[in-house]
Amino acid sequence: MINRRQFSQAALGVAGFAIGAPAFAQNQPLRLGLLAIRSGVGAFLGEDSIRAVQWGVQRLNAAGGIAGRKVELVIQEESTPKDTIERFRHLVLREKVDAVHGLISTGVTLAVAPVAEEERVLLQCWDGTTQNGVQESMPKTRFVFRSTDNECEAVMGALLTVKHMKGKFATIAGINPDYSYGRNCWETFKALLTRYGIEAKVVSEQWVKVGTTDLTTNVAALGAAKPDLIFTSMFLSDLPIFLRQASAAGLLTNTKLVAPTGGGQINELRNAFVPEGSLLGHNTFFHAQPGASELHKAFVADYRDRYKVLPTSSADRAYFNLMAYKAGVEKAVGATGRWPKVDEIAEAIVGVEVESLGGRGRYRDDKIAEQFFYQGLVRHQAGSASLDFADTTAIFSDKLQKPAGADYWNWIKSANFPI
Amino acid sequence: MSAVMKARAMDHQQQPVQLAQPVQLAELLRGFMPFAVMCLALGIAPLVLSPYHTVMLVPIVAYGVALLGMNVLFGYTGLLSFGHAMFLAIGAYATAVATRYGILSFECIVLIAAAAGGVFSLLIGALCVRFTHIFFGVLTLAFGMLVHSFLFKFYEVTGGDQGMRVLRPTLLGIEWDMSATQFLSGPFFYYCLALYLLIGVIVFRVVRSPLGLHLRAIRDNENKARYLGVRVYRLRLFAFVLSGVLASVAGAILSISTGLADPELAYWPQSGNLIFMLILGGATTFAGPGLGALIFVVLHETLASYTHYWRFMLGATLVFLVLLLPDGLLGTLARRLPKRAERKAP
Amino acid sequence: MQYMNLIMAGLFQAAVLFLVACGLQLIFGVQKIVNLACGSFYALGAFFAITVVGLLQSLELPMVLLLPVLVLSGLVIGLAGAPLELLLRPIYRRDPSYQLLMTFGLVLMFQDVFRFFWGPVPRSMDSTLYTIYGSLELSGFRVPVYNLLVIAASLLIALALGQFLKHSRLGRIVRATAENRNITEAMGVNSAKVFTLVFALGCALGTVGGALVIPTSAASMTMAAELVVDAFAVVIIGGLGSMAGAMAGAIVVGLMRAIAVAYMPEVEILAIYLVVVAVLLFRPAGLFGRSTA
Repeated sequence: MINRRQFSQAALGVAGFAIGAPAFAQNQPLRLGLLAIRSGVGAFLGEDSIRAVQWGVQRLNAAGGIAGRKVELVIQEESTPKDTIERFRHLVLREKVDAVHGLISTGVTLAVAPVAEEERVLLQCWDGTTQNGVQESMPKTRFVFRSTDNECEAVMGALLTVKHMKGKFATIAGINPDYSYGRNCWETFKALLTRYGIEAKVVSEQWVKVGTTDLTTNVAALGAAKPDLIFTSMFLSDLPIFLRQASAAGLLTNTKLVAPTGGGQINELRNAFVPEGSLLGHNTFFHAQPGASELHKAFVADYRDRYKVLPTSSADRAYFNLMAYKAGVEKAVGATGRWPKVDEIAEAIVGVEVESLGGRGRYRDDKIAEQFFYQGLVRHQAGSASLDFADTTAIFSDKLQKPAGADYWNWIKSANFPI
Repeated sequence: MSAVMKARAMDHQQQPVQLAQPVQLAELLRGFMPFAVMCLALGIAPLVLSPYHTVMLVPIVAYGVALLGMNVLFGYTGLLSFGHAMFLAIGAYATAVATRYGILSFECIVLIAAAAGGVFSLLIGALCVRFTHIFFGVLTLAFGMLVHSFLFKFYEVTGGDQGMRVLRPTLLGIEWDMSATQFLSGPFFYYCLALYLLIGVIVFRVVRSPLGLHLRAIRDNENKARYLGVRVYRLRLFAFVLSGVLASVAGAILSISTGLADPELAYWPQSGNLIFMLILGGATTFAGPGLGALIFVVLHETLASYTHYWRFMLGATLVFLVLLLPDGLLGTLARRLPKRAERKAP
Repeated sequence: MQYMNLIMAGLFQAAVLFLVACGLQLIFGVQKIVNLACGSFYALGAFFAITVVGLLQSLELPMVLLLPVLVLSGLVIGLAGAPLELLLRPIYRRDPSYQLLMTFGLVLMFQDVFRFFWGPVPRSMDSTLYTIYGSLELSGFRVPVYNLLVIAASLLIALALGQFLKHSRLGRIVRATAENRNITEAMGVNSAKVFTLVFALGCALGTVGGALVIPTSAASMTMAAELVVDAFAVVIIGGLGSMAGAMAGAIVVGLMRAIAVAYMPEVEILAIYLVVVAVLLFRPAGLFGRSTA
């Protein structure tokens, strides 16, 4: 039974073909919808992402666009799951974008992805992939691409803790955001320490509500517990708040700090409250990464010049997706000789390697991203209040991410890690 | 509340006496007619609107269902609940649990959501309806926040910040093999609209019955009503439970339209939005709140697409309403008409 | 005794919560309005304080004056409550439910006002200012003197307010208006002016609370809605309309949070709400409240 819409779609398709689709399409810009966080505690993540995409699109359009078509951006706000679904539908049904990039929060990604699959719209997520989600709602997607697992940073943080700090701590405490991401990071950290034979006693586990700005009681509780090492997966403005208070309370004087997800706050962190030797993770992009490409240097210079602050990994994730999209479209155009359909683009994106700001990256067969991760030990440079880093390690995500279809916790126990 | 008292006065005038035309019109505006007209308009809408806009109509119908109940509680019984969003969440999560355990029949889902809402509203209402006015509002606000925290904290059960997935149900036993937009703007919308109409008829019968009169008596003068033998506590509880049940059904509809039950549904500003819709159309009329839902959703969508500062606009609208049009749009219309006619009459 | 630092942390939070709750209670007690926008004034105080302190820093004012500067800036911006009270005037004699609605509208508007003036990203003060007063060693744990000063300031304000209400002429007029507005008006008091004063004072208490907390945290668009949750827990536990209730409720919530966070972090916020539910079940009027129907 064909309904009215299917019929009219078929009619339009025939008409479009008759007119001569590729030539017609060439004159129209390619519309890319962005869903970014514009307000609240995650706003800086959205800002960074948008700026990077705008920078990338400017350069693309100057060089002719994607397969000859200039790119136009349509930006909407990512907020709560329900509202973001509405914004997504707005982009797809009213603004008629060709693809949607965006989404950083875990809950929102889980909510919007099934909608994208059902609507058959190409969705590339900047972030938000977490273990539970992978198993439950979308085992095999056709149109939805997801970022590297959130827990990669915790895995790398744990591995580097073992490498640099083994034998130097007996008690640990965790202060993590109170939702799936924070819980998974903390569990990952503990599981890996156990695997490498480190018997550390957990003296306190703090859970911070996302968006809280008052951490006095948490700091007091940690102070009472007196841990040798503090692990935190906080990555929003609660991190500098916590560190300032902890430092003022004397909590960080003889304590090791492991903050594998804290690099996004680089502009807010200062030597005054981040002890030397702390392990800080930069996600997929570090403004001073060793062996940086020309692209990377150009981006950092332009960004600093224009916005007066350092870019963070959200910029890299957004840029990576833009480049992956470009590569996929151009590959599909080359393969089909005309403007490709959505599923052809999706298939073409898989496996293509692109040069992103943070290094090379690609999407693997199950449409999960693979990129480099950077983490380093804090070093205080005399005469500067901002953080400097010694001993920055880069690991590609194929060593940090569980393979397609595997069970996460089993993989943690049995995988071959690079130490 | 003079407008409401006037409405009550007009109720007494329902005798076979020659009434002036405008008064009859005002009566009609307060009654079922605008509701029927609105449902008719909603029914025709998909034929003229794009699929995107039609999908937007589903939350309007859902909120309409919830507001039918809230209007019984506020417009007719005088209790303003500032935590009713918790029932939206309860209905949504009940739906998620149902679809997770394989119950995919929409009819069953509605019953389950209604039952869940009924149980919770009975428990919460039993405590809250002992108080009125501000204290009632504060208490319901507190319970709403409690439910919100529960949904977040018990993440093992509720999924925490990620919420719970809601699968597509079958309508009348039929599985609809089409895209989400087609389903939501087609069969699902019409089903919910029919449900809305049915519930509207039932609720209208209730408020026009002697029971409805008792509720209004309680709203206007609690002590007097008690002297007359009206069982104040029981009837208030009845109104509360009815509104809780309907809000839960609304939550079920909402969660199916987004495919997700998420804890933000219970966040207290959501209750504020519900009340906004309630008075936007006019809580002194039967159809007003439903109309308010329509205007609110359209307003919200339009503003959010064009400006960052949509919250300011919405807030300003609310302040304006409370100051100048407390009877809402429909209510003010119903009130002004007889006056204008009186000025024209000889 | 490691409990000391937990208690100190709890009291610090209680001190700030008390100020906001006090403002709420004052406005409710006199005007019978539940000010949902109390959190918005808290946030306003925080944002404004950041701007003021930043300005003064660039003018090279000695930052030892931080605490008085914060209190003053809170008081100054709290006066913004006065013109807003005009909006509330038409609805005093109406059903109280409309007041909840009106203040809710203000909450929505305020969120975007913050966004407009201070941007969508959370802002915080220069990080060195928090430790400007140094710290005290308490049983092996360092407590910043700033925290202690805030607790002291809060107590002082509580005392001053109590004195004002009990012994000053204006205070007695305020209390009389709270008891019975009509009779007080009949006696020649300009209740409109009293209401404006009370509302501005209530808002100022909230803005001062926000200003005082800002060196230790950050100001964000969403902190207003978040605070309402806490403020209401305090008010319900303490009893609606009572100043002593504000203090008792604040101390209960602050200490409960500190203890819960230390010993049962999983249930932290729920612990507070369990107390709220218990109060609602067994003594809905709160510890010090009068049961208002």
